[in-house]
Amino acid sequence: MKNIIIGQYVPGSSFLYKMDPRSKILALVLLMISTFILRDVLHIFIMLTLVLVILKVGGIPIGRIAKGLRPIMILVFFTFTFQVLFVKSGTILYDEVLNFTLYNLPIVIALVFIFFLTKRFMRYKILFFVSIVAAIILTSIYFTPGTLLFDANLQVYTDGVSGAFFIMIRLVIIVTLSTILTLTTKPTDLTLGLEQLLKPLSLIRINSEEIALIISIALRYIPTLLDEANKIMLAQTSRGVDFSEGKLKDKIMQVISLLVPMFIISFQRSDDLANAMEARNFIPGAKRTRLHVLSWQLTDTFVVLVSTLAVASSILVNLFL
Amino acid sequence: MAIKFEQVSYEYIGVDGSSYKAINDINLDISDKHEFITLIGETGSGKSTLVQHMNALVKPSSGTVSIYGIKVYKDVRKKAKNVKLNPLREKVGLVFQFPEYQLFEETVLKDIIFGPRNFGVSLEEATKRAKDIINLVGLDESYLERSPFNLSGGEKKRVSIAGILAMEPDILVLDEPTSGLDPKGRDALLELFTSINKTLGKTVIIITHDMNTVYKYATRVLVMKKGSLVFDGDPIDLFTNQAIDQWNLDLPDLLEITRQLEAHLNVKFNKLPRSIDELFELVKGVL
Repeated sequence: MKNIIIGQYVPGSSFLYKMDPRSKILALVLLMISTFILRDVLHIFIMLTLVLVILKVGGIPIGRIAKGLRPIMILVFFTFTFQVLFVKSGTILYDEVLNFTLYNLPIVIALVFIFFLTKRFMRYKILFFVSIVAAIILTSIYFTPGTLLFDANLQVYTDGVSGAFFIMIRLVIIVTLSTILTLTTKPTDLTLGLEQLLKPLSLIRINSEEIALIISIALRYIPTLLDEANKIMLAQTSRGVDFSEGKLKDKIMQVISLLVPMFIISFQRSDDLANAMEARNFIPGAKRTRLHVLSWQLTDTFVVLVSTLAVASSILVNLFL
Repeated sequence: MAIKFEQVSYEYIGVDGSSYKAINDINLDISDKHEFITLIGETGSGKSTLVQHMNALVKPSSGTVSIYGIKVYKDVRKKAKNVKLNPLREKVGLVFQFPEYQLFEETVLKDIIFGPRNFGVSLEEATKRAKDIINLVGLDESYLERSPFNLSGGEKKRVSIAGILAMEPDILVLDEPTSGLDPKGRDALLELFTSINKTLGKTVIIITHDMNTVYKYATRVLVMKKGSLVFDGDPIDLFTNQAIDQWNLDLPDLLEITRQLEAHLNVKFNKLPRSIDELFELVKGVL
């Protein structure tokens, strides 16, 4: 749980930190829209450059973003491979027949076994996986003595490659942009910004203040509840619950012994919170002032303008190119 | 020795990579026979982290804890696959600071037998234990069929302590077991722990902030400060020979009174009283 970086604020001092949360949310939405409008791998590359420029100017180390990308790495990897292998349009780039014969099939099987036996000792699992796959492909192309058992076609088309890059970059851009927002904005500012942006919804009787309050309370209680969950897990472990092993039937009991106390604690906490808020004379929907007032600067206007420009140009690019 | 700490340190790692040393270079031997140990120290001195090492709930960042011959160290689960830590928790029973949160079953009975059942005790045996123990912790058998969530705070606490006692551990570790109890209930529980210690000969380890408990019950006292073990010895030695102010401790009421009496009556008692009656006899002796 320690590597979750999405949704975590890290203090800093670049212009991204000084911006108004409203403009940041707006810019995020606009840039995402333009990312989804774009249909060409070249244009999405330009978009990626823009994101990288934001990172550079904003002084956010790429390493941090890479850490945040780790959870979606598997997803990216699979979409990439499937695109490359199964899209069969455009011109052919690479065409080779994979032959599996009496002699090289055992080698292939041995490689697969080696992978499963040694993968837990490897630091870079994905890299290891790729090199094993490459080794299997090379064996089946170049080392083919003995009787042919079966063969498969390995064909790569231009559309496959460009599509793969397109989808991969799109995923990376989206995650990076949202990580930038949460990385540089305090949760309280974020909800405040959201509240202000949702204000127009009061026309259709949706109270943006309440939504913002709900979000901020939910965010506030994530660490507290994680902490409580950890404590209860330890307490139940002391009573002989083994969360790391056990049969399915035991697993269900383990989860129940964790979930029931969690439910009770959450209800108790919300009751306490409601009382504490009432004790401080909190009245829902009352007009209240803020300690920190959001201020819209010239930078904010500029950033929103640039983002709008990005949307406009991507629409234009889509229509005319 | 049942539990042996060898140069044990434990660090909490923050999200930003910073680390905080909760306990630092602890060396400690604990026997599973006849010891009544109190663990004292200011809040945040690492007492709770220390006791969580005693049944392998947390693994040391460096050093080794041997519990009944099983060595527990960093990444023990990865390095020694056949080591089973779970059975250790039946031998060393740990009651947490707010044990009422571990209750989850429909009835008190089911909750008390949950621990023993996890360790393979038969249903009849566990039920029998539960019936005995519910009386010991100061409740009666009518509680067994009630829901644990409709009890008062003190009753919940007793039920959760009963849940650990029903496992019949050789070493009983309690993290502030008497906080939130009324004086009478507190004394009753402490008497229960003393009788477990005396009649069954088991070791009891209690984290407490109450110096009177330390003086009245303990045969051995451990003092922690900023993650280090600064004192390990006899309570009388602690209160008479050590500069306890430096560890933010104070004297038990009985010794405070004795000291005041000595100052005002201008006498020196020949021994330290262990109870109010002994003090009375001493005062009678000099007057």
